[in-house]
Amino acid sequence: MLRRTTLKLLATLTAASMFPFGAFAEMPATVDKPVTISFYNYNLASAGIGSEATKELIAGFEKKFPNVKVETIAVPSNEIINRVQADIVAGKQPDVAQLTFRDLIFIASDLGGNALEDMVKPAELKDHLAGMIPKGLELGKVDGKTYGLAYTFSTPVLYYNGDLFKQAGLDPNNPPKTWADVNIAGKAIKEKTGKNGFFPGAYGPSDGTFVYQAIVMSNGGRVRDGNKLTYADKNAAEAVKMLRDMVDSGAHARIDPASGSDTFAAGNLGMFVYTTATLGAYKKASQGKFDLRIAPMPSFGEKPTAPTNSGSALFVFSKDPAKQRAAYELLKYLTSKEAYTVITSKIGYLPLRLDIVDDPNYLGPWVKENPMFRANLEQLNRLTANVAFPGPNYRQVEKMMMDSVREAVFGKGDPVATLKAAQDQGQDLMP
Amino acid sequence: MTIDVSPDLASLATAGPKAGHARRLAVHAVMILLSFLSIFPIYWMIVTSLRPENEIFSTSLWPSNPSLENYVFVLTRIPMIGMLINTTIVSAATALLQVVTGLFAAYALVRWRMRLSGVIHGLIALSWLVPFQVTMIPNYVLASRLGLLDTLTGLIVPNAAHAFAILLLYNAMRSFPTEILEAARIDGARSWKILWQIVVPNMGAPIASLSIIAFISAWNEYFWPLLLSRKPENSVVQIGLQMFMTQEGNLWGPLMAASALASLPILIIYLVLQRHVIESFMKSGIR
Repeated sequence: MLRRTTLKLLATLTAASMFPFGAFAEMPATVDKPVTISFYNYNLASAGIGSEATKELIAGFEKKFPNVKVETIAVPSNEIINRVQADIVAGKQPDVAQLTFRDLIFIASDLGGNALEDMVKPAELKDHLAGMIPKGLELGKVDGKTYGLAYTFSTPVLYYNGDLFKQAGLDPNNPPKTWADVNIAGKAIKEKTGKNGFFPGAYGPSDGTFVYQAIVMSNGGRVRDGNKLTYADKNAAEAVKMLRDMVDSGAHARIDPASGSDTFAAGNLGMFVYTTATLGAYKKASQGKFDLRIAPMPSFGEKPTAPTNSGSALFVFSKDPAKQRAAYELLKYLTSKEAYTVITSKIGYLPLRLDIVDDPNYLGPWVKENPMFRANLEQLNRLTANVAFPGPNYRQVEKMMMDSVREAVFGKGDPVATLKAAQDQGQDLMP
Repeated sequence: MTIDVSPDLASLATAGPKAGHARRLAVHAVMILLSFLSIFPIYWMIVTSLRPENEIFSTSLWPSNPSLENYVFVLTRIPMIGMLINTTIVSAATALLQVVTGLFAAYALVRWRMRLSGVIHGLIALSWLVPFQVTMIPNYVLASRLGLLDTLTGLIVPNAAHAFAILLLYNAMRSFPTEILEAARIDGARSWKILWQIVVPNMGAPIASLSIIAFISAWNEYFWPLLLSRKPENSVVQIGLQMFMTQEGNLWGPLMAASALASLPILIIYLVLQRHVIESFMKSGIR
């Protein structure tokens, strides 16, 4: 906590003293001279498919732009913002970083992230953003300006175990569409198979808030309104109470909050709401073991769902015009049709460009082979931006919120009162 | 002559060995249970490392189709061998430097009469209470200015001296017979010679135990390498292990294979030096 606060203070002071916001020299139109840019990336800090795909993309970029050398800095996702801050404090200005959406406001207001509108000529920016999902572009905006360009992101889907459905007397071809359906199916699985019915990937330390926020927003709630916390307000609290009711009914599993993904992969959980980024892992784990299925996330009755985004965006921090050009070219390349074909087919994230989905030159053949992925694509038209918290205490506010959600769902007390108490405390930490 | 044994003593004489036997059995049962609790996770790590991906969550005691696939994955996906070499260099250098700096500081505090030596000793002890996280960022900024980011030197230098090492050797050195040191001084030996030719050869046990503790501690270090390293090939094995916990799901098979590879050197060191370590701890405890 002390480290984080010190970091933020130092980063703010450094950024504020070194870079007057909004003062951007015009960047050159092309990269004419050799330039090296740093790229902080969390996919590279893993040994999984994300790392291989990222290496492929960077190699492709360097081939296309031989003047640009990308110096990669691999940092795990939960530590990458601290590393960017530390390097700013140490005077090692980062150029491009893959950061999570929860840090969006902090990056824009405290870390000196560049707004693309301030850095790139309007016509050029418009040209690149053409064809991208407008709702996807909204994900990285703060006060109307694009600080983060959505990169690897996904929405929550309902994974379910077809075999457990059959054993419980349920029809795997007719997955639950509403939370009431989930409750019924969860109870049936628990009672008839003895296995866990339902669990959302919403409570674990590395789950972020996207599944929780998707459930809340699907019920018309929001976690904050401006600088006012609202996660204990009626619709948001009712969504949490629905989860608590499912816990009480036995439909919602009582397991370690961090173990939902592994419990599902082990075949011991009927339904699991989580990102499609883990689809590849579940496919391998379920091979010859159980019938893996995917459906869109459930709704509250007739209300349309509001799937929020997990994942990351690309941020530019370069202050040198030549590096800014190289950084922007990297952003363009990593959000191109070619790149999204790699990102979707090899990692499992959503493409920000929907015109490539059925294009035989891009994702067409892969989507045909992987029809399950359509459940996620179908949700894109209802994509709702994940809400980040403002102010220097944003992580603490978020943690207090998620702690109270866990307590409300799994505890013995009144869930609404639990949320309200945390909200009142958290409000003091808001700007 | 006959000895008259009272009935009470006779019953004690017969019950004694039985009670002792039962006690030994109970002690052995507890030790067997504790050994099982210690060894089973290692066994499970190795068994899991031999399982294919779709059997990773199986609870069977032995995989149906054991394979070395996960080990191949580890060795091809991350620079595991390089990381093991880096970790060995960092751990050995850190242990060596902690012993040397600890010896110098302990000798000075014990043998030299200085003003404020009590304050210095107290400050060293207090520095042990400062969490590494507090000094991490200033250390990082300094390492960056010195050009030590992403280097093994940068991993070693901030841990070259440690309060625990100084205090351990300070306590050991205090109990060293002063008569011998005075005799050496009368014979004309200076501090350097006394330290290396008289004190150090007689402090084998604490130096060995400190070396092992410092080595293991450096081997398990995570946060500082996480902050300092920029590329996997320049990093250490603990960072390598973390690489199998990904945003796309945890790769348990490779993670267990990497953990087995990472724990092997430590296990071997402990097996070889086991008696020495236990003896030194026993002596330190008695002292």
